[in-house]
Amino acid sequence: MGTLKLMKKSLVHPLDFFYDYQFMERSKLKYAIIIVCLAFCTKVINLMFAGYSFSYMETYQVSIPFEAVWIFLPWLTWAVSNWAVSTIVEGEGKFIDILTSSAFFYVPYIVIMLPFTFVSNFMSLKELSLALFIMYFMQFWMIFILVVQVKVLHDFEFGKTIWISLLTAVGMILIWFVCIMIFGLVNQSIQFVLDIYKELSYRS
Amino acid sequence: MRTSRTMNIIVFLLVIVLLGIPTNVSAESPYRGYIYDNLDNTPASINGYLYADSIDGIGKEFGNLKAPEDLFIAPDDTIYIVDSGNNRVIHITQNQELIGIYGDKEGKGLLNTPKGVFVDTQGSVYVADTLNRRIALFDKSGQFVKEFTQPVSPLLGDKFVYSPSKLIVDKRGYLFVVSDGASQGLMQIRPDGQFAGFFGANHVNFSWTRVLVRLVASEEQKEQIASVRPPEFSNLYQDNEGFIYTSTLGVPINQIKRLSAVGVDTLNAYTDFRYGDLYMPISNGTELLDAFVDVSISNSGLISALDQTTGRVFQYDKLGNLLFIFGGIGQQDGLFKTPTSVAETTDGMIYVADRTRNRIDSFYTTPFGDLVHHASELYVEGKYDQAFGPWNEVLHLNANYDLANYVIGKTFFRKQQYGDAMTYFQLAKHKEGYSDALHEYRKVYVRDNFGTIMTVLIASIIFIRLLLMAYRKRWYTVFRSNKSI
Repeated sequence: MGTLKLMKKSLVHPLDFFYDYQFMERSKLKYAIIIVCLAFCTKVINLMFAGYSFSYMETYQVSIPFEAVWIFLPWLTWAVSNWAVSTIVEGEGKFIDILTSSAFFYVPYIVIMLPFTFVSNFMSLKELSLALFIMYFMQFWMIFILVVQVKVLHDFEFGKTIWISLLTAVGMILIWFVCIMIFGLVNQSIQFVLDIYKELSYRS
Repeated sequence: MRTSRTMNIIVFLLVIVLLGIPTNVSAESPYRGYIYDNLDNTPASINGYLYADSIDGIGKEFGNLKAPEDLFIAPDDTIYIVDSGNNRVIHITQNQELIGIYGDKEGKGLLNTPKGVFVDTQGSVYVADTLNRRIALFDKSGQFVKEFTQPVSPLLGDKFVYSPSKLIVDKRGYLFVVSDGASQGLMQIRPDGQFAGFFGANHVNFSWTRVLVRLVASEEQKEQIASVRPPEFSNLYQDNEGFIYTSTLGVPINQIKRLSAVGVDTLNAYTDFRYGDLYMPISNGTELLDAFVDVSISNSGLISALDQTTGRVFQYDKLGNLLFIFGGIGQQDGLFKTPTSVAETTDGMIYVADRTRNRIDSFYTTPFGDLVHHASELYVEGKYDQAFGPWNEVLHLNANYDLANYVIGKTFFRKQQYGDAMTYFQLAKHKEGYSDALHEYRKVYVRDNFGTIMTVLIASIIFIRLLLMAYRKRWYTVFRSNKSI
């Protein structure tokens, strides 16, 4: 099955899709990476070719590595956080399944953002409400896919799924917080060692 | 031998001669010309004003200036200087020839640290005699006529300290006075000295922190907290249409106002606007607040406002578009230490008084400044077609000038050349303008090419349907064949 077919299935029959996807033997990771890369491409295309009225950044403000981080990082931290949270509450999903299927979170983004980028060149701000509706619809769909994925992979009932999804989001924030803190601490300790070295070298 | 000796002498003489020739001195400005674009960046711009000369009175008939506080330029371009430290007002021509001095050595006409001056059309001089707490009126020849002491009114309250610092007199002869520290607004005083009420008061904006503090604090604590007062006016100016422009201290937005006859701000009527620099210097970890101490309006309606914190003069057109920024804090000619007042002559020279340096600096418009003023005047008057050429020239000289892009875009829009309008609005980084132009462009395009668009649309729908049918058929057969296996 090609990536396109998988994407279509994830949009049309998400429940069936995620159920089947865990039992797919080969190239799960490959498809996931392809989809995330596609999402990144969509982001770049959107930044480059969106109509001027709807582009929120000037060309000189765009940093491609930074945009890449904001596509890849949420995916990876979501997978880690969701695995960590769901393992505690007896979720059935394996890490590799969570990682690969949560990449399909980006499918609605790709499917809606690409045509929207094209159409936005012909839209004026008078159609802002339409554009906003499309964006909200897309975001709703993305969250829906994510929740369905959590439900199917771990075989939770609906209420628990929502609860775990919220916990996962909190977990993501915690992971980022800890990472930034560790970065800061390591930075400071390196600085400290360097300062001591400097002090000693000046005294000797 | 002899030839080399003559050569030596010639070379030596040449060196002497060359040393004597002054090298070409270029008049480089001590401040960098810049402008704010629509994204609040500060790209370089060509200076519109450059330092011309100073008036300090050294060796002149009127003697040295001491702490000049205010400038008034009469319609005939003669200059009145409030020489505050010498307790007098000097009237001179632009060529620094003395015309008259106001303020007597003794008697009723003795001034005490005056801070403001206004001259009416008859030449009568009103002086805000701050420390004497009165307004002194002199006639044209310098004779003291009368004084306006603190008006009596229940509106003023018991604790009111009358400290008049700036004033104007309107066509009816009513005085509008800024009293230092008075937050109730401008004081309106009748020609007979009666108090006629406050005018155009500033307001205190709503603040969540204040509400929170009010909720939490006890009665004693509430008494300790200084009561919140509206920001006070620092200066005022009457333009030739009778509008009163004011500058306000201690607020980050709407520092400059144009008050109508009933005291309503008409300059910032639609949106709040921040005048002056958007990025202020930081001192001890806090961003300094600008202090607009004076405002001056040219005959064509250009607003020049003086910020004491950065020492810069900001010039806006009648609609509030920033045109030029010049000046700064420093030692060189063209920079200031404590600028106190700004005034403009009819020929476009700008004079800035500096209290600490005891002098008045004058600035002349550069050719670029003249060009922008010309273009801006036409644009503000609504003569878009005539403004088109000058603005293009502005853009040719200075591609960073966003206002030029915007005005050209607007002109194209009015000419219904929406494609060009889109280009220039995008250059001006003006999203709303671009979007409006696009809207019209699309409308015209669809109207003109309706036949083609419909044909392409219908053809592509049919094509996609056929493609889908073919695809489904193939899929169906594949499905069937799979099933059969």
